[in-house]
Amino acid sequence: MLKIRGLKKSYAENEILKGIDLDVKKGDVITIIGPSGAGKTTLLRNITTLESADSGKIEFENIQGDYSALTRQETKKLRQSIGFVFQNYNLFNNKTALQNVMEGLLTAKRMPKQEARTEALKALERVGLLEYKDQYPVQLSGGQQQRVGIARAIALKPKVIFFDEPTSALDPELVGEVLQVMRSLAHEGTTMVIVTHQMRFAQEISNKIVFMVAGRVVESGTAQAVFENPRAERTRQFLAETLVQY
Amino acid sequence: MLNTDFMLQVAKATIKGVPVTLEIVIVSLILALPISFVFALLRLYSVKGGNQFVKLYVSFIRGTPIIAQILIVYSAFPSLLASFIGKSAFAIDPINYAYIVFTINAVASLTEVFRSALQTVDRGQYEAGTMVGMTSSQIFRRIILPQALVSALPNLTNITLGLVKNSALAFIMSVKDITAIAKTEAAFNYSFLEAYLVLWVYYLIISYAAELIFKSLELYFGRYRKQVKKRHYSNKEQLISVTTDKRRSPAQG
Repeated sequence: MLKIRGLKKSYAENEILKGIDLDVKKGDVITIIGPSGAGKTTLLRNITTLESADSGKIEFENIQGDYSALTRQETKKLRQSIGFVFQNYNLFNNKTALQNVMEGLLTAKRMPKQEARTEALKALERVGLLEYKDQYPVQLSGGQQQRVGIARAIALKPKVIFFDEPTSALDPELVGEVLQVMRSLAHEGTTMVIVTHQMRFAQEISNKIVFMVAGRVVESGTAQAVFENPRAERTRQFLAETLVQY
Repeated sequence: MLNTDFMLQVAKATIKGVPVTLEIVIVSLILALPISFVFALLRLYSVKGGNQFVKLYVSFIRGTPIIAQILIVYSAFPSLLASFIGKSAFAIDPINYAYIVFTINAVASLTEVFRSALQTVDRGQYEAGTMVGMTSSQIFRRIILPQALVSALPNLTNITLGLVKNSALAFIMSVKDITAIAKTEAAFNYSFLEAYLVLWVYYLIISYAAELIFKSLELYFGRYRKQVKKRHYSNKEQLISVTTDKRRSPAQG
C-alpha cells in the first residue's frame, strides 16, 4: 500500500536519514525501534511531509514519484489519507474534545456539521472518551488528551496512522490507557506505523519490527524474528540493553 | 473646604465631553486594530521591505513623546491639507487630527502586541492542522487566530487604558473633550482643584468600565484555558473499589 524507497534527509551537514526503505501493507502494524538519535521520529515526519525530505521515492494510492517533486495536490492527497498522532498530542487548545475530532471532518472533508458530529462521537467512543466530549484539552489528563489525538486521527478514516512516540510525554500510570486504545485499533485491522520505546508493547502488537540505528535500517522482520532471534549484533545489543529493565 | 456646588456644575458641564473622549478612544482603536494586525503579519513573515518599514515605524513612534507627535501632526497636517484643498482645510474639526495621532500611536504598540500574541500559539497545533488536512489559511483562521486574540486581550486592555489617559492631550488640538471642558470651567471660575478632581473621577470611571469590558471578553473567549476542577476519576476511585472488594471477599469466601 505504501512504499518508500531511499528516503534521505539532512539538516545542515548532518545526514539524519541515509536512505530508508519501508513497505507498509494493508493491516500491517509496524513498529520502528532504535536508540535515541537513530532518526525514527525524523523518518515519520518526512514520510508524512511534516518535513520535506531531500530525496526518496514514494508509492501510495495513486501517488507515485519523488518526495522532492511532490506537487501541492499530491501533498494534500497524501495528508488526507494518513493520520498522525503526536508525542505532545498537539490538540487544538481552543476547541473541545468533540470539536478537535470534528475539525478535520468539517474543513478537509467538508462534511456537513451533523454528520461530522456523528462521526466524531463514534471516534470518541472508540477511545472511551464519550463523556469527556465537551471538555477542553487543559481539562483533560495527558492520557485522555492523547486518546482524543487518536480519535482525531481515526475519525478521518485514514489508510494508515503514524504514531510518533505516543506515550513518551505521559506519566507512567497514564501509558496503559493509550496503549490499550492502540491495541484495540490493531485488533480491528487498522494499518499503523509506530515509533515507541515500549518494547514489550511493540513485541506484542506488531507484525513487523524495523530496527534503526544512525539513519539506517539495521534489521527488519517479524516481531518474533527480531526479538527472539536477532541477526545483527547491534540489534542484540540494543535489545539486551532495553529489555533488561523489565 | 471644597466647593461641592461648583464640582456638580463642572460634572454637568464636563459630561458633554465624555462622548468626545470615548470617540477618540474607540475610533482610534478601530482604525489601529486592522493596520497593526497587518503590520504584525509583515513582521512575522519577514515580508521584504514591509518588515523593515514596520520596525522603523514602531521604534520611531515608541521613541518619541506623544505630545511631540501631537504638535507635529497638528501643525503639519492643516497646512499640508491647505495646499491641496485651500483654506477650507482650517475648518476641519480638530477631532480628526486627534484620530490620526492616536491611531498612529496605537498602531505602534498594537503591532508588538499582535506579533507576540501570534507567537504564543505553538507550532505543534499548526502541524496537527496540516495532518488532518486543513489548509494554512483554515488553520490560521480557526486555530491560531482565535487563540492569539485571546492572549492579546490583557495587553489590549493596557493599550486601551493608555489611550483613554493619553486622549486627555487632545485639548492641545482644541478638541472639546472632558479635559478641555474641565480646564475651561476651572479657569473661568478660578477653582482649579475642584474641576480637576471631577476630571479625575471621570477618567477613573471610563477606565474602570473599559477594564470591566475587557475582563469579561477575556473570561468569555478564554474559557477554554480555564481548568475546571479536575476529575480524579481514575486512580482513587479504583483504589477505593479495590479495598472494599478486598474487605468483602473474605466474608464471601
